[in-house]
Amino acid sequence: MDAPEWACLLDVLDLIKDKHDGTLAYRKSCRMMICGSCGMRMDGRAVLACKERMKPIVDAGHVPVISAMGNMPVLKDLVVDMSPFWGKIRSVKPWLDPGYDEVAEKERIVSQQQMNVIHKEALCIMCGCCVSECNSMEADPDFMGPAALAKGFRFVGDARDQADVERLNTLNEEHGIWDCTRCYFCNERCPKGVDPRDAIAKLGAESVKQGVDHDMGAKHAKWFIRSTETTGWLRETELVPKTQGIIEAIKQTGFALKLARKGKVPPPFPPHVAADVKEARALRELVGEQGRDGALGIVQGEHALGRIEFTEEAGARENAPEIQPGVEPPPAEG
Amino acid sequence: MQRVAYYTGCLAALSAKELNTSTKALAPKLGLELVELESVTCCGAGDIHEAEPDYYLHLNARILAYAEETGCETLMTICNVCTLNLRQANWQLKNDEELRARVNQNLETVGVPPYSGNVDVRHLLWLIAEGDGYERLKEAAHKGLKGLRIAPFYGCQILRPSKILGFEDPDRPWSLEAIIQACGGEPIDYPAKIKCCGFPIIQAREEVALSELIQPIEQAQEAGADAMVTPCPLCHLSLDAWQLKLRKATGKDFQMPILHLSQLIGVAAGLEESELKFKRHVVSVDPVTSKLEV
Ligand code: SF4
Ligand code: SF4
Ligand code: FES
Repeated sequence: MDAPEWACLLDVLDLIKDKHDGTLAYRKSCRMMICGSCGMRMDGRAVLACKERMKPIVDAGHVPVISAMGNMPVLKDLVVDMSPFWGKIRSVKPWLDPGYDEVAEKERIVSQQQMNVIHKEALCIMCGCCVSECNSMEADPDFMGPAALAKGFRFVGDARDQADVERLNTLNEEHGIWDCTRCYFCNERCPKGVDPRDAIAKLGAESVKQGVDHDMGAKHAKWFIRSTETTGWLRETELVPKTQGIIEAIKQTGFALKLARKGKVPPPFPPHVAADVKEARALRELVGEQGRDGALGIVQGEHALGRIEFTEEAGARENAPEIQPGVEPPPAEG
Repeated sequence: MQRVAYYTGCLAALSAKELNTSTKALAPKLGLELVELESVTCCGAGDIHEAEPDYYLHLNARILAYAEETGCETLMTICNVCTLNLRQANWQLKNDEELRARVNQNLETVGVPPYSGNVDVRHLLWLIAEGDGYERLKEAAHKGLKGLRIAPFYGCQILRPSKILGFEDPDRPWSLEAIIQACGGEPIDYPAKIKCCGFPIIQAREEVALSELIQPIEQAQEAGADAMVTPCPLCHLSLDAWQLKLRKATGKDFQMPILHLSQLIGVAAGLEESELKFKRHVVSVDPVTSKLEV
């Protein structure tokens, strides 16, 4: 099939529908990466069809496989049923709760600095690409997932919103932020640079800051902090009781004993202590007084991370040894 | 010999001691002189990044500063999570002078040398998958693996987010396969090799984690792998130790030996059992070693 040099995947699909098969079903609207309609998989990766240029692929002699996004039921061809996706978005109450009803007489100005906190999350076009390969959602379809959680932070982090503690409590429930397995597929796939996994980490940081730390995930995280302050290294053996509680830990005794026989349960005494660990303790105390706590600790690094070009280090690939493991690797399923 | 600062991370010093001993025994054979760091702590895993991110940044800056003090250009990691944490902090410190100035002031206040941004964080896997390292690997792996069928398992945080890791295509990685081939093994292909082992949530959400863990093990088994190899001790713990729970939960008799990267190469390079320490594995590695003895 012939297509112009500038064609993107969506143009090619239009040509196919026009000239070969009028029944082909896919969603589209804006053609410019803002409506979020055209999410689909190319070689197993979720992409926006209107963002993917086809020339480099054709030049490489590669024939890509196009399929529907994952983690959502397929309705027809490339069209998936997004209703569970919208349900999860709705569940985070994606509207501002300013804590007052009266119309203000004067405009309330929000500073640029305050808006920077939610700048990335506000870029979301709700295309669903991040959800397509989410490993936790594949394992637990009820997991709220990257898009809804990023939307959650868009409001928790909004300086005008007054409902953050209430929101954080909801987001800390089962299937919420602590279900995320940190596979980073969402960051990898998002075509708009939202980095949903980072938004989830921001929610975790805000939860701990605001004392919403009853979940096992938060307790697990806090034990790492305690470890670095006391011995410097993770106090691995105590991690289970500190995360799950003593009762659960006792129920796990059989499993623990099997691991212990293999030396996988290092005795906590004498502790493995890093030299100069008091420096780490002093650092934590010091930064605790500097007001970059909670999500700000992540936001402060975004300026630098935004400058990374993917190609910077990837150049190393050019002199990689030439091997073809297997014949044709199976498409990444995500 | 290339001098590299060596960051063990927590697990290699604790439950995965076999990773530390095999890495240390292997390094000279691969032309690497490991400079151990005394004063460093845990990188915080994903946990401190998620709970107290500003403290995470400072902890990692402190590790980078002590690595820089050794005069080495490279800080070598042997864990996916350490690699992502340190590289992420490193990018932030290198590319934002204001941020680095603040962090350095804090480091100096507590008696840590400031960090000037001259360290590159690289996983052992990357040091030997290409270039000189790869040439030396081919020489070192003289005993071979007798065509053993090995399933590479990358795990997540050595591939994604690729803008921070960036060594290879996160959807079509090749480095482990290259190493398996150089060692005389046969790489097995299966879709879940780039997916999650479930470890980060294995304590807080065991059921979800186990449904993730089963995929790579089951697929590797179905593809006829003799063993799996991983560059990450957390993936190792999950694939090896939690395989017990997977057996119990599914009633299926999984018996998949899981090797650390340093052990796989170590076997091909003729390391001793005292260095490989296969006895510390939960799932027996005997089927692998006996195949090699034949
Ligand atoms: S976070 Fe990114 S990938 Fe996910 S829905 Fe929003 S724009 Fe799409
Ligand atoms: S990092 Fe978390 S939210 Fe993102 S894709 Fe993985 S499991 Fe899903
Ligand atoms: S058509 Fe609107 S995002 Fe692609």
